[in-house]
Amino acid sequence: MKSPLIHGTYGLFVREMKKWLRQKPQIIFAFVIPVVWLLLFGKSFNLTYLLNVPLDVPPEVRAVIQRAMEQALLRVFGSLDYFNFFAVGMLSAFALFTSMWSGMSLVWDRRLGYLERMLAAPIPRVSIYLAKVLSTLAKGLLQFSFMLLFVFVVGFTPKQGITIMDILAVYAVMASLILALAAIFTAIAIRITSHDLVISIANLVNLPLLFTSNAIFPLRQMPDWLKLAASLNPLTHSTSLSRYFLLGIGSPSPLQIHAGYMILFTLACIAVGSIVASRYL
Amino acid sequence: MSAVEASGLVVVYKGGVKALDGFSLSVGKRELFALVGPNGAGKTTAMKVFTTLLKPTQGEAYVAGHNVLSEAGEVRRIIGYVPQNLSADDELTGMENLVLQGRLYGMNSPEARRRAKELLEMVGLVEAGNRVVGSYSGGMRRRLEIAMGLIHTPEILFLDEPTLGLDVQSRLLIWEHIKQLKNEEGVTIVFTTHYMDEADRLSERVGIIDSGRVVALGSPSELKAGIGGDIIVLKASGGDAADALRGLESVSRVDYVDGEFRVKVANGEEALPEVVKHLVQRGITVERVSLTKPSLDQVFVEYTGKTYREEEPPDYLLQTYIRGRRM
Repeated sequence: MKSPLIHGTYGLFVREMKKWLRQKPQIIFAFVIPVVWLLLFGKSFNLTYLLNVPLDVPPEVRAVIQRAMEQALLRVFGSLDYFNFFAVGMLSAFALFTSMWSGMSLVWDRRLGYLERMLAAPIPRVSIYLAKVLSTLAKGLLQFSFMLLFVFVVGFTPKQGITIMDILAVYAVMASLILALAAIFTAIAIRITSHDLVISIANLVNLPLLFTSNAIFPLRQMPDWLKLAASLNPLTHSTSLSRYFLLGIGSPSPLQIHAGYMILFTLACIAVGSIVASRYL
Repeated sequence: MSAVEASGLVVVYKGGVKALDGFSLSVGKRELFALVGPNGAGKTTAMKVFTTLLKPTQGEAYVAGHNVLSEAGEVRRIIGYVPQNLSADDELTGMENLVLQGRLYGMNSPEARRRAKELLEMVGLVEAGNRVVGSYSGGMRRRLEIAMGLIHTPEILFLDEPTLGLDVQSRLLIWEHIKQLKNEEGVTIVFTTHYMDEADRLSERVGIIDSGRVVALGSPSELKAGIGGDIIVLKASGGDAADALRGLESVSRVDYVDGEFRVKVANGEEALPEVVKHLVQRGITVERVSLTKPSLDQVFVEYTGKTYREEEPPDYLLQTYIRGRRM
């Protein structure tokens, strides 16, 4: 490893991970919070029950209406159980919830003086930045793996004939989303000196980004202006792709658009973040 | 080629605070150099320019012949830096901090571990090496941080206030390490301090800094000699002592104040026996004699017209401000 970029990034990445793995409560929370969302929100919202046709409707009419309702549910949610739809959305939501804190450790390093040490070392500025982004990727993917296992345990039903390739594809989608978001949120923190500001920014963006995506509800029932916002939101694209791979909702042609958007968006975020880091860190 | 060379450095922070104002300095190779002055004088700012962490608004600085702006990478490879703020990672052990530091300087893992062990031994932290730094005392942390600055065997080591806030024992220990580094490893050491006695006792050469510029430069003894040397205070009877003393070559001046003679000499220790012998030979009785050494505090007063007080911050306020902006 002769390149200062590589040994700098690697050394600092190891530091981040060691620190993270040493903080047991933090890790437990990273696993408990998704469980809370998945179980309390995902399981409480039982659409099939809400759309049950009342028993006093004549049986033959009732069967027809019921079938029509179920088809509507299947068309929109890809499943009669809203939990399936919601659980996949939560995979992207937690990619956001985890990566929006990726700037925090940079602010702490600045305040505690460690940043000065890194800046005085013969490593490119961008390696300090990339180490933060990559450590967020590692933490995010660990959390994602746990969530994926957990949803199956609590009754997630994937599409018929799901293969390992589908799972790997979802990993790629999540990696891309986490990288992009970590790149943005770490870059924002480059000139920030107060951790309060990082908290405010995270609070400002988390719910709007979640609600302007299809993580909780499908796009089709949104007003046009919200659809526009959602179409720019990377969470929408990652969720659409994940739902295709896990639940079989969606068709291949818009998927290419989603995938193309994710790749370009991620590359752009990392490129801009790296430039900002080299210039302003 | 000198180890550190600065000419006409000016650093103006946003908001107009002029931290350096025509700062010039030259430190020779293998020198143990102290930059001393009150808080807010610009010591830390100067260190940040030398360690490439801060762009000067004006002027030029060279470290081992490399320009700190255009050859920042070279400079960073050559220097070790121990910042004023505690900067080891609290959540890592001493060993891990050292190894990580080694990795940042391009050492491979076994190489970094070997050097880390060596350094832990040198600073007496072998036992504590596997504990997290958060559990260290202030003195232990400082020693670890100095070791971290040495991991890549730098040519030049910059230490910013290495003994700030430490108890006397820890300070003495740090002094030992610094002397050892200079004598045994031949490292050029530039350190800042606001303790005049520390600069005096530890360094070979001192730059006294006030309001962003170096106001006096020289070895501690030169500087002190520059303000007129030592004063021998004596009480004598049985002859004209003043007249007798004026005949001595080592005596530059004799005053008679409040029944005592104040004899100014370049080097008190050397002159004292001669002065007494000279008086006794002339049949003059020396009743009492004492020696007053000029201190760097007095040098500071001489050059700045201000009294020197070792006070703690307002510098901290400035530090927090500075930390936000760097290159």
